[in-house]
Amino acid sequence: MRGIISTSTFWTLWLFVHLILALGLLGALTHQAMAVALPVRKPAAGIVTRFRAVPAAGYTTAVCVLYVLTFFVGSYIYTQYRIAIRIPLENAHYYKTGGFFDFKEHVATLGLVLLPAYWLLWKNAQNPDYDNARKGVTLVLAVMVWFLFIVGHVLNNTRGFAS
Amino acid sequence: MSTATPASAKQPSLATSRKFKAFALTFSISGPVIYCMVQYFNYPLFTYWPAVRRLVWGFGPPSADNGPNMLWYGWSVTTLLIAGALGIVAMMLPEHLTKRLPLWLLWLLPILAIPYVVYSLMPWWTLAARQ
Repeated sequence: MRGIISTSTFWTLWLFVHLILALGLLGALTHQAMAVALPVRKPAAGIVTRFRAVPAAGYTTAVCVLYVLTFFVGSYIYTQYRIAIRIPLENAHYYKTGGFFDFKEHVATLGLVLLPAYWLLWKNAQNPDYDNARKGVTLVLAVMVWFLFIVGHVLNNTRGFAS
Repeated sequence: MSTATPASAKQPSLATSRKFKAFALTFSISGPVIYCMVQYFNYPLFTYWPAVRRLVWGFGPPSADNGPNMLWYGWSVTTLLIAGALGIVAMMLPEHLTKRLPLWLLWLLPILAIPYVVYSLMPWWTLAARQ
């Protein structure tokens, strides 16, 4: 593959795959978090209400699969980041940017270990004993994914696509 | 709230399995704590040097020959293995013990892990502050 396209294009394509997976994950989890945080009790009217009125439990397996895929693709391109991105960032004294990327890697693992319980709690959504835990885990996971996405986006703006 | 579950979910399945419940809750509750400890004591299962594509078991330092090392993969795999082992142990325990697991720890422990993680990145923040 790397003989057909340039090294830069190869990694850019993987970064793009990472982005697409992350966008899917972000959308699904945000729908679910909104549904659990601000549940709709009347028929949907406006766009915001309809956004919250999704059948939230249906997103569960998709969120888990997308999280794992995004995690693995991110882990793969991380090797290139360590060589081609982080070293120039350090040389240019972008220490906060580098620090936030390391923060991102830790948060990604903390989110990964939540997935089995997250899946269990949503697959038993009819059990009222799980309501508070399901709400808490979903919101924590959603905040984590938004954080991962924003840090990745800022880092890409600093030194990302085709660099 | 739109959290309705199909009636089929009440049939025996992974989601309704008592053993899977014990595994999943133990894994997810212990995971953040284990990750912080693994990182604090620096116990990566392996270290990877991306510049030379070299991988060794345990911790390995950065060097002029091999370039920068990567520990995060090793920390994450160590965490998954230990949390997985604890989960398997929990599956073998009687139900009256595993059902006592406080579910609020599931969302509280990842939040509590964040200040430690930020603190562990102090070298970055110190360098940034010196600019």
